[in-house]
Amino acid sequence: MTTRPTVSIARADGSPSGSTHPLPAVFRAPIRPDIVQSVHTGMAKNKRQPYAVSEKAGHQTSAESWGTGRAVARIPRVSGGGTHRAGQAAFGNMCRSGRMFAPTKVWRKWHQKINLGQKRFATTSALAASSVPALLQARGHRISTVPEVPLVITSEAFEGAAISKTSAALGLLKAVGAGPDVSKVTKSRKLRAGKGKLRGRRHVQRRGPLVVYNPDTDGKELVRAFRNIPGVETSSVFALNLLQLAPGGHLGRFIIWTSSAFAALDDVYGSTSTPSALKKDFLLPSNIVSNADVSRLINSSEVQAVVRPAKGGARTKRTGVQKKNPLRNRQVLLRLNPYAKAFSEGKLGQEKLDAGKPERAAETFSEILHED
Amino acid sequence: MAEQHSNVSSDLIWEICRANNAYLVKRTSGGGVQFSRDPLNLVNKHSRKYAGFVNDKAVGIHPAEKGGVTMVTKKTKHHNRPAANKNEVSWTGNKSGPKIYKGIVNYTAKQGYRADLRQEAVARASAIRRSSQPKKEVPEKKLRGSKAKKAAEKDSS
Repeated sequence: MTTRPTVSIARADGSPSGSTHPLPAVFRAPIRPDIVQSVHTGMAKNKRQPYAVSEKAGHQTSAESWGTGRAVARIPRVSGGGTHRAGQAAFGNMCRSGRMFAPTKVWRKWHQKINLGQKRFATTSALAASSVPALLQARGHRISTVPEVPLVITSEAFEGAAISKTSAALGLLKAVGAGPDVSKVTKSRKLRAGKGKLRGRRHVQRRGPLVVYNPDTDGKELVRAFRNIPGVETSSVFALNLLQLAPGGHLGRFIIWTSSAFAALDDVYGSTSTPSALKKDFLLPSNIVSNADVSRLINSSEVQAVVRPAKGGARTKRTGVQKKNPLRNRQVLLRLNPYAKAFSEGKLGQEKLDAGKPERAAETFSEILHED
Repeated sequence: MAEQHSNVSSDLIWEICRANNAYLVKRTSGGGVQFSRDPLNLVNKHSRKYAGFVNDKAVGIHPAEKGGVTMVTKKTKHHNRPAANKNEVSWTGNKSGPKIYKGIVNYTAKQGYRADLRQEAVARASAIRRSSQPKKEVPEKKLRGSKAKKAAEKDSS
């Protein structure tokens, strides 16, 4: 490996502070959307609360079947008289005010166990994806004004609870070029479609930047400062969560790091050869293919040296050309049937069969024919 | 891919974003057409060749003020500095069409920067110019035949 790339650290006003930090090894982790998606699906289920219909629903009647012979279906029917309810079918899922089919139970399997190794893999993968501007754009983040990805802001900007007010936090976000992403969230707020409106999830909105801090040096005041800005979330670098790093299972969350949080990443995740200081038995996953650039691999001298030359010479397939009728177009005919030239020049098509006159049948033939 | 990490390439990015991304517009109508809202996509089509956010080199052409045309290209040097990662060239509406197209070709094709997008770039610039031109008024339809004229007179009176 050549020199490790560095990331410049920005001041609170967005200008480069001049100091840099080597890129933590976690950003070199393999980017695996399949793993991230499956782990996200499992993790998203772990905050669910059990729900079920009442155990008694649809069964609070003393209905009995009338049996056969009364020209009605054998479904249980409400007993008694004097009300319209009497004689109506009950219990069945097809009945009015019957129970539902397969009533939901609180003991459904609500939560998913996900292997720790997979969770860690997914987290590192999501972190690596957060350093690729193209993936950030593909997720929908507005990053055209961001000076650098990953975006690191010096921890001096947060020192002594400097960012403890939302106005200061918003000013910081705007200064470092995250303003468009925040305003995107504000503009995106819409009424949710469906019943969720009645269940405490009235609005939907996009996600903005994620601010990752180091609680030891940056303090926790910034959490309160950022929490009322729509779409902006905060997370401690020691408790990164896949649900925030890859919302919806889609890679490429826009992350704003404080410099001390960024520096802590090497401690938290280690590298492919040195184990993590904070996670037990964890080495960063390494890439199976060390060069992901397929066109470079194909054009490499090693591959080109062993590929066979193209068969069929320099013939290119001509697509989108009009098909010519060989019966009308002589050149096309000759291309398909080189013999056509000799055939027409020799006037072989006009030639008569030179078989002469048909020979008369032998005398015996007619004799045999008319024999009685 | 000058200083991109070895674990990332435009091929990988395309495979990740191919099924779904923020720019992609999918519709079931028209046989499931897929369009792109990418500003660096010359034909607004969802495809590897035209995906501006995926490729290191990409060209975008947008209308500028007063019938002008702006061309945006991606720089290849600092792929991880989005704010400083693009070149912009503008032509005013006063410039003649061929001059603009020649400029676009000089930037995109002649210098070896995406020669494959030459035609699309010129076509887009041309379409933008055409759309900014004021529309000619359609001359009023002449009435043909004496019957039609008489009918028109009757209507007006």
